[in-house]
Amino acid sequence: MNAETFTFIVLALGAVLSGALALLSREIVHTVIFIGGLFADLGAIYFVLSSPFLGLLQLAVYAGAVTILLMFAVMVIKRRIFARESTLGIQVPTLALAVIVGAVLVNVAMDVPNYGPAPSCPAADPYCVGALAQNLFLLNGAWLVLLGFIMLSALVGAVHLAREWRTPSVRRIRED
Amino acid sequence: MSVPLVDILSLSGALFALGIFGVLTRRNFILILISVEVITNAAILNFIAFSFYSPGPAAGGITGQSIAVILVGLAATEVAVGLAIVLALNRLRGTLNVAEAIQLKF
Repeated sequence: MNAETFTFIVLALGAVLSGALALLSREIVHTVIFIGGLFADLGAIYFVLSSPFLGLLQLAVYAGAVTILLMFAVMVIKRRIFARESTLGIQVPTLALAVIVGAVLVNVAMDVPNYGPAPSCPAADPYCVGALAQNLFLLNGAWLVLLGFIMLSALVGAVHLAREWRTPSVRRIRED
Repeated sequence: MSVPLVDILSLSGALFALGIFGVLTRRNFILILISVEVITNAAILNFIAFSFYSPGPAAGGITGQSIAVILVGLAATEVAVGLAIVLALNRLRGTLNVAEAIQLKF
């Protein structure tokens, strides 16, 4: 086992542990911290897999922005709601289903043919960032434009959802 | 890159199973949203793995990474909308339990 594989295995174990602790923790703030750890772990794994651009994106967007966004959502919601709806413990049928799904996926992974060593990037562009930029902005530019429209629609939708409601039907629900 | 492909896919499968477990077990909207994010990250990891094990960058092997970049953007958008729904649900119903939010209309 070489250093790269060893690092990957350590990070992978950390990621699975963080994910499990996040979903099993009874305190919602601990859940958010553990999920931040999972995202940071995955970012480090992307670096190990020679994808530094995606690693940085993962650290900035997921480990940074999304985790902080989740923490703010937890902060603005009253704690009694989380205390009332704390985690329900482990349900055996669901756990069994998840284990079966995981086992099937790992079994499928075992059957994937070994492609051998990954092709290396050119010496002038050791992390393939230039190739990624060309592919992203030239070949898949239309998808980026579509992503921009989706993000704009999501922004409008989020503002619409989060604004103060003043319609009669909503007032009636709140009075109930 | 010398990490075996099967190791990466196994990690992806484990994360996917973890996310499925969270979605099916939890009743809190935020926890369900977090579980969906775990599932999305498992999918993104697959794209990155296959991107580097497919024929070289010149032959289009980098496409998986491009799709992963787009997926990261989409997932961040999904979190923003999901948390807006959380805030609306909390304000209107005073709960985050998805079992109590059975009506789609406000």
